[in-house]
Amino acid sequence: MRFRASIENVPTFFKIMQSIEKLQKKCIIKFTETNMHIICNNDANEGGIQVWSQIKVDSLFVGYRIQSNAANEITMALSSEALLAALKSASPSTSSTYETEEVVMKLAKKNGQAVLTLEINSLTRVGRKVRVSHDVKIEVMRPNDVARLSEPLCPEPDLHILLPPLQKLRTIVERLRPMSDILAVRANNSGCLQLSINTEGVKVDTEWKNCTNPKTQNAEDEDEAPDPEKMFSVLVSIRSFLKFLNSHVVSTTTIACICQNHCMILYVYIGDVADAGGVLTFYIPAIIDDENL
Amino acid sequence: MLQPSDDEEISPVFKASVHDIRYFTALLRGVNFVNRATVTITDRGLTVTVEEARTLLGTAFIFSDIFDEYFYHSESPPPAPSSQDSQEGEVVDNAAFEVPLNTLIECLNIFGTVGPASTNTSTGKYKKWRKAGDDSDHDNGDEGRGRAGMSNGAHNLGVGARGIDSYFGGPEKRTGMRMTYVGSGYPLTLLIAEDALGPTSTCEITTFDAEPHLELEFDNSQMVLKIILKSSWLRDALSELDPSCDKLTFIGNPPPDASVSNSRQNPKSRIGVQPMLRIQATGTFGSTEMDYPNDRDVLETFECTRAVKFSYRCGHISRTLRALQSSTKTSLRIDEHGLLSLQFLMPSPKPQGAQSEVSDAFIEFRCLALDDDV
Repeated sequence: MRFRASIENVPTFFKIMQSIEKLQKKCIIKFTETNMHIICNNDANEGGIQVWSQIKVDSLFVGYRIQSNAANEITMALSSEALLAALKSASPSTSSTYETEEVVMKLAKKNGQAVLTLEINSLTRVGRKVRVSHDVKIEVMRPNDVARLSEPLCPEPDLHILLPPLQKLRTIVERLRPMSDILAVRANNSGCLQLSINTEGVKVDTEWKNCTNPKTQNAEDEDEAPDPEKMFSVLVSIRSFLKFLNSHVVSTTTIACICQNHCMILYVYIGDVADAGGVLTFYIPAIIDDENL
Repeated sequence: MLQPSDDEEISPVFKASVHDIRYFTALLRGVNFVNRATVTITDRGLTVTVEEARTLLGTAFIFSDIFDEYFYHSESPPPAPSSQDSQEGEVVDNAAFEVPLNTLIECLNIFGTVGPASTNTSTGKYKKWRKAGDDSDHDNGDEGRGRAGMSNGAHNLGVGARGIDSYFGGPEKRTGMRMTYVGSGYPLTLLIAEDALGPTSTCEITTFDAEPHLELEFDNSQMVLKIILKSSWLRDALSELDPSCDKLTFIGNPPPDASVSNSRQNPKSRIGVQPMLRIQATGTFGSTEMDYPNDRDVLETFECTRAVKFSYRCGHISRTLRALQSSTKTSLRIDEHGLLSLQFLMPSPKPQGAQSEVSDAFIEFRCLALDDDV
């Protein structure tokens, strides 16, 4: 089992881990020949939010080499916090006195413990070489366990809509959080999106018009003329939604899919959609509560 | 309260709109130390009243002219619990209801556009409002000049900070609001929108029937101490206090040159043994004393008829800090029985020289003294 790559785009990797770390302290990373998958599927995770991401190797790494008996795939469980800390010290912004030249990530075994080593080679201002090395303890997962990992099954979404900038959504949802635990997300096919809470004390509806409904491939042939004004809604835990909104640091475009009374799927694109370096997919289960609908 | 008749229901009791909610929100934040607030609406403006421990009463007086549009349509005048009207003297026709103040403020701040919360310095706070005036095309300019004489140091800081800030915060920071209250039993409805293409928020806040409040009448004829000073002078003193202090005492002595009760310019009086104004804080770990000099630059007005010494609970006085921080001038009065009245002038962001005269809103706190003999 061999793995070695140099991280070319440290800031993006750092931001991705930032949003993952807020969600779950441990995560699973699966490296394949073409992709890196970061998976958070812990059932213990409050609210049941899951992340299945897929990031193209080219968008983060250069000199990427992988070899294993399991079809050249390596899957590991590790502490997202520790990896984040290692990436932080590799980020150019935080180490202003050094200039990072190269960050190499490789699989190693130290004292019988499998680790993911990040070697950071930098230069000081006067041109001396500095090497910082971080070992992140990992647990290599057996192929059997890997096979058991499965993405949540969802019905065909009722609706797709492009979300406004996540930073703005986050401001609003943060205000709503002290007032309610449940957030209703509603949207229709004519670009209208609503975030609402409804409690005894207060009812708040925030509405965006002029959002974009992206074209989906199968929508064209299946249902011919769905009423564009019809609102589809889903109730989610406001905390889970806020956790998803932590990904605002890395997001450019986000598409939300509503499966009415089932779940919400959010595709957070890293980089431009057309040339997406990757996508983080968040699944937020719906809260079934007839009273609040 | 009664619902007069069917056709009355159509026109709401109260409707107001404002193109920039920051001033309004800052006023509400000034009294946001108890969640349940009573809002009283008259045709001259709003008062928002909160009460704590039957001892402290905080009231924000928000005049109708800070709103761009203000409409009050009398419900059949009920014998309303209008404890706040003491200021007006006469009984004014009003509508009153209670709302959770926290919720109201959170709703106003839904887009995160009313500036940082509470505990910043005054300069930070009114830098925010000033910018409001700056950014809008019609309100631009010289609101600062009108108040320049009133507050020098802090004010200038505010202007400086604003100058920098205007490079960062664009005009999109402005958030407008329309507020409607249909009548007793209806929610308070807010329609909040950012500029142009931004989203709109509709908030319906449940209202409750107003409960009568503590009556703390301040009788000017029984006043023993009256001080007007720049808020920053009081703010600096109060912010020095250790949080472990539990009792705060105001000590006032008539100026040494007693022939003129509000003598301000006698430089010799500074040497006087008795302090004119002393703030003393006592706590478990010790006490702090702060004396104010008899200097017109510090105490703009100082009237003291006899030696005064009254104590208040620090926790109550600290409730006033938020309002104090965003105010420019403070009036501190104490009557014979030790009732403390603190009035904070909250500078409005509109230009003073505008066609319609804009009254600066103010926030008043009244606090009962601790019984010193016990």
